[in-house]
Amino acid sequence: MVINPKPIEIFCGTGGVGKTTLATSRALELANLNKKVLLITIDPAKRLKQILGLENTEAGEVQPISSTIFPGYEQKSFTFDALLMSPRATLRRMKWEAGTEREFENPIIDILARPNGGMNEIMAIIEVQHHLSKGNYDTIVLDTPPGKHFIDFLQASLRIKQFFDKSFIEIFKFLGKKFQRSSEKEGTGFLAMIVSSGVKKLLKYLEKVTGEEFVETFVDAVVAIYKNREAFLEALKFQDRLRQIENSNWFLVTSVEQHKIDEANTLHNHAVEFMHGDSYLCINKCLRSHLEGWNPTNSHYLHVRNSMLDRENKIKEFASRNFEKVIDFPEVLGTSPAQHVSELAEAWKMS
Amino acid sequence: MDSSKVPRLIVVTGKGGVGKTSLALAITKHLHESGVKVLYNSFDQITNEKLCDQMEIPYWEMSTGKSAETYIAKKLGSEMVAGWIMKTPFFKSLFNMIPGLGMMILLGHIIEKLQNDPDLHIVMDSPSSGHAITMFESSHNFKEMFGKGMIVDDINRMHQFIYNEKRLRTIVVTLPTLMAVNEGIDLKKSLNDLEISNVSLIVNDAIHLSDELNNQDEELPSFLAKKVEMEKEVVSEFEGKFAKILPHLSTSNEVENIKGLTKHLEGLW
Repeated sequence: MVINPKPIEIFCGTGGVGKTTLATSRALELANLNKKVLLITIDPAKRLKQILGLENTEAGEVQPISSTIFPGYEQKSFTFDALLMSPRATLRRMKWEAGTEREFENPIIDILARPNGGMNEIMAIIEVQHHLSKGNYDTIVLDTPPGKHFIDFLQASLRIKQFFDKSFIEIFKFLGKKFQRSSEKEGTGFLAMIVSSGVKKLLKYLEKVTGEEFVETFVDAVVAIYKNREAFLEALKFQDRLRQIENSNWFLVTSVEQHKIDEANTLHNHAVEFMHGDSYLCINKCLRSHLEGWNPTNSHYLHVRNSMLDRENKIKEFASRNFEKVIDFPEVLGTSPAQHVSELAEAWKMS
Repeated sequence: MDSSKVPRLIVVTGKGGVGKTSLALAITKHLHESGVKVLYNSFDQITNEKLCDQMEIPYWEMSTGKSAETYIAKKLGSEMVAGWIMKTPFFKSLFNMIPGLGMMILLGHIIEKLQNDPDLHIVMDSPSSGHAITMFESSHNFKEMFGKGMIVDDINRMHQFIYNEKRLRTIVVTLPTLMAVNEGIDLKKSLNDLEISNVSLIVNDAIHLSDELNNQDEELPSFLAKKVEMEKEVVSEFEGKFAKILPHLSTSNEVENIKGLTKHLEGLW
């Protein structure tokens, strides 16, 4: 099976299955094939961050990674780029590009853009789309948030769309043309207007619970986001590209460990509406080759062996039911993350 | 079991794939069978109700959306207005855009339930690492955002409950590999930074403790011998850091797995 590189290669999975390591190994393998690669990762393990040299650089900055840090690649000298997502850095770039520094000086936006502030998924797709549209790379390898949050990630653009379509229509219905005229004149008096309009009713409820001061800041935050809607709406294009077979490869990652089948199944059912035919199931940490060569006489060992094989078989069965293309990755018995990346990169060559 | 020794809220977290849900269910079952009044809550994931019913595990299903509606209804004194507010596209998409808000309200809801019933204990199957931090951090973020008012009063009440070592116990589940343990320790540190102090690490799925693989005459195959050796190195390197090390259970059946885990939970409290 030959896996042709595409502009977007998206890795998703249930978490704890080695998704980030596998995505990194794919980036290494593609760079080894002379492709210009950017690896975007949401939250890599600390050790991997150390190995990639991302630990002491500020998140949100593109960092070149040298092949020499990976065992077996010491003699080669190529690089790929890596970016650790930072909502704050994305926001900073957005303000700068839209010339809205002043509007974004808003405590609510500031707090939400903290690393765990909860806007990660939406900021991530804005960032990915930004790099896609610049067109500096042959392939962007994307490591997504685990499990349910991957679905949040996929739905992020839909949420953005709803936010701007529905909620703003609602507000502007009340405000009418008055807002548009005044917003052209620097948006002064917007607050006074919003309060004097029908939205007042909605905000009054909010005020009752949160206090007046918050409502003012809140309205300002909404205005700031509205003024940057171009950047938000631009991110919708990312969703379109994900759906196009010529633009993206999907890798759903699962592992033989623990009870991953149900989760993988749920995730697959949710993701299937976003995916297209070129989707692969990567089964990580396969022990099959070891297990098949193990023929114990002891009944306890036999039981352990069979239960381990049973797990793998259940995954296989799920795989063949739902995916045409399945790639096995062996369990790597080693302690260094760089070693893991190198060995998994080998497995890409064989697939 | 003396239920006064058991924390009122037990939060089970850790990175994905370490067996959080199975362990949270096992803890609930274990406490329930020991005569403690306890409920399992899946924190905005879908509860496997069939499994809970089958295993007689008591649970409380509550989603972030339902929780937010209940909260707003209470604050405004009207369920109708709350329903209306939650249905307006503006608020609906606001909650979608800022998941931390929903998480905070749900956590507050759980705490309120505990405050209303002094005998009750809740085992919360928390979201994985980063999102567990978002959940605990949210209340601080929103407190800062709102400044003062009714929500801030509620947040303060919530904090009073959480920042009490006897009431909240957070369990970080991890696997016996160097990388997983390091991640577990990092998560514990991040929680400590949020002043959540009663945090214990539990290692799951340790092959070197499996009854069936221990003390046999026959030699282990090399891949398992290697795994055992690596596990033992990790365990000795971090000696004393773990509240429990749970053995690998040779079953691919979820019910058997949870039953097996309950047998190893003595002495946690």
